[in-house]
Amino acid sequence: MRLSHSIRNADQEINNIESEREGRLRIRRPLLKKEGGAEALDQSPPTALKPGAPSDFELMAGIQREDSQALSQLYDRYNGILKALVLRVIHNEAEADDLLQEIFMEIWNQAKNFSAQRGKPLGWMVTLARRRAIDGLRKKQAYARAEERLQHETEQQPDAWVHNSTEEEILDGDRRILIRRVIGMLPPAQQQAIELAFFRGMSQREIAAKTNTPLGTVKTRLELGLKKIYDGLKELRDEL
Amino acid sequence: MSFEEFQNRARRFVVGALDPDEMAEFESARGEFGEKAEAFIAECYSLSEAFALSLKPAKASDQIKARLMEMVKNRQAH
Repeated sequence: MRLSHSIRNADQEINNIESEREGRLRIRRPLLKKEGGAEALDQSPPTALKPGAPSDFELMAGIQREDSQALSQLYDRYNGILKALVLRVIHNEAEADDLLQEIFMEIWNQAKNFSAQRGKPLGWMVTLARRRAIDGLRKKQAYARAEERLQHETEQQPDAWVHNSTEEEILDGDRRILIRRVIGMLPPAQQQAIELAFFRGMSQREIAAKTNTPLGTVKTRLELGLKKIYDGLKELRDEL
Repeated sequence: MSFEEFQNRARRFVVGALDPDEMAEFESARGEFGEKAEAFIAECYSLSEAFALSLKPAKASDQIKARLMEMVKNRQAH
């Protein structure tokens, strides 16, 4: 287990060095089924929409008109993703469910503040959900407990984001694998900085203290890591 | 602030990583760059989408949706 992890890290390190030389990440795109592949990456929904199904923008417009059916459909489409995000932050199943309900209620209440010019509905919902999850984590003073659980999980699985895809998964070619591949190509220190900032709501100073790293280095790791992911996602969209 | 520096900060902004002092400078630059800045920030939200989509979806309790829709119904009734 440890050895395979080390080999994986060594492979990744070589990959990173090569990528750094090229000045950007090289993404080896997995084989994709032609039908649905490009659509699955370019569209907001996690899976291809059925013909005639409303887009996320249409559902948001419906919610803005107080159409509860639009909220129901948006819930069906995204509750799994938002629950996973909340769970990743607070590490408690029951609290995650409660927060999920609050988040969708906030989506309903705050829909009027959503503007299509400022981005896609999923980005808006993720930002809202993440903020609620981090607030919830702090409010309930569950931070220490989550820390213990996370520590335990980290020991069990050293790099949660480093995904060793099986051939079957690659052939399945879903968007999650593509994204994890982009993230997984970052050096571990950059992944860790992003993980602590995004999923744990830590400030750059907190990350610096936790990782015993100079603040400037933390900022650089975040900037480099986020730029590589941003460019990697853009490259994938362009290729597809 | 150059636009390149603004772009770096925008990416950190969408993941909630900017320090308060950086935030003030960022907001000032955001105003200066105007629509170009807003368009770039909108693109940057693909990062938070990607982090959420990188996780395996989790199943919510069946009661959650029923409770949510009941709350919405009550809200509409008042």
